[in-house]
Amino acid sequence: MKPNTPNPATERIETHGFLGEEFLTWLWYQWEQHGGEFTFAGGRVVGVALDDFLIFAAPSDEETEQTLRRGLPTRTAEARTALRQGRRLKKARLLIAEGSRQWTATLDAASLTLAGVKLPEDAEECESDIDRTTDRAANWLALDEILQALYGRFLGERLAPDYKATKAAAQAKWMAS
Amino acid sequence: MASIRKSGGVVAFHWQGKLLDPQDQAFADALATRRFRTIEHAASEEISCGWVTAVDPTGNSFDLEDLDGGAGTWLRFRMDKKKLPTKWLQIHRDAAEKERGKRLSARERRELKDDLADKLLPRVLPTIQLVDALLFHDKKLVLLFATSTGAREAFTKLFFETFTVPLDRADPLQRGRLLGLGADAERALEQAEPVRWPDSTRADGARRPAPRTSAATTDDAEADA
Repeated sequence: MKPNTPNPATERIETHGFLGEEFLTWLWYQWEQHGGEFTFAGGRVVGVALDDFLIFAAPSDEETEQTLRRGLPTRTAEARTALRQGRRLKKARLLIAEGSRQWTATLDAASLTLAGVKLPEDAEECESDIDRTTDRAANWLALDEILQALYGRFLGERLAPDYKATKAAAQAKWMAS
Repeated sequence: MASIRKSGGVVAFHWQGKLLDPQDQAFADALATRRFRTIEHAASEEISCGWVTAVDPTGNSFDLEDLDGGAGTWLRFRMDKKKLPTKWLQIHRDAAEKERGKRLSARERRELKDDLADKLLPRVLPTIQLVDALLFHDKKLVLLFATSTGAREAFTKLFFETFTVPLDRADPLQRGRLLGLGADAERALEQAEPVRWPDSTRADGARRPAPRTSAATTDDAEADA
């Protein structure tokens, strides 16, 4: 691609990347206020928690990003202050669980890209390379499906006509607490 | 054949329209038309990018069974880069300048580089990058196991050249469009503006401007705390 050719994906991240950041901040809110458990169609139950790495987006060009890592960064005074200042999460390491399977991954919110993913352990019955590939392919697909389902749940709230008066107001109260 | 990876970064893409069925030989034949071609003996700086399989990294064979990725189809592309080693170039330039007792002109430097390229590049081995992807045909989804801009662009270009189907990156807008939200919600998605969360640390209760991403700023919607 030529350097000056507009890239539709890059443009979309520039125009709608904030939705990914709002989504990631919403996941934190859901985890802390509602336990982070989500039930989806077909009775699929997924648990989400934030782990040991957070980056808060810079509120403006003149201000700095804030990175917190190790331990329990969501419990730190710095994290609470950032929320009180109305900052959104730019990146966070997530723990995602469904049944006995657990994934960890760092979500880059603006692009909804996952980095540093660790899949669940291979199933015990995997005996060959093709068994392991089959099992892992299913786990990669499940991770993407979970991300899509969570994002769908978020957008369901976010795009509702009464969002600002209801859900956003409740989240703002949590952020200010 | 090794197993597909169980860790690392991943970027999701979707496509619209019709793609060859990975169960059909025509799919493997399409990969073969854009197979990897070696630049091992090339005498110029080059990049070569093409399909291989997890079984055969040369790009010489594309058996359907080698693409078996369980629920998905296991794609692999290989990107080789051959580049003149810059330290060799620097050493030869320094030696030439020392012999002359003065700096080389731009033209002389260019000539020296061309001369060295002719001598050295046939002996330089390319760097090799193998990148995997899983294609889920029924979901119109590809998971690419690389997050760098170079790998993403090389993959989407190669995919389009092979299947004439463009890939769309699953970013916040694209993922929202795939949810089937309905006309009103889709319009709201397209027109969404960032929420301006209140800054409760400021005595005047002012609201921060809400950037669209982590850079530019806009203002509009507000959360009524």
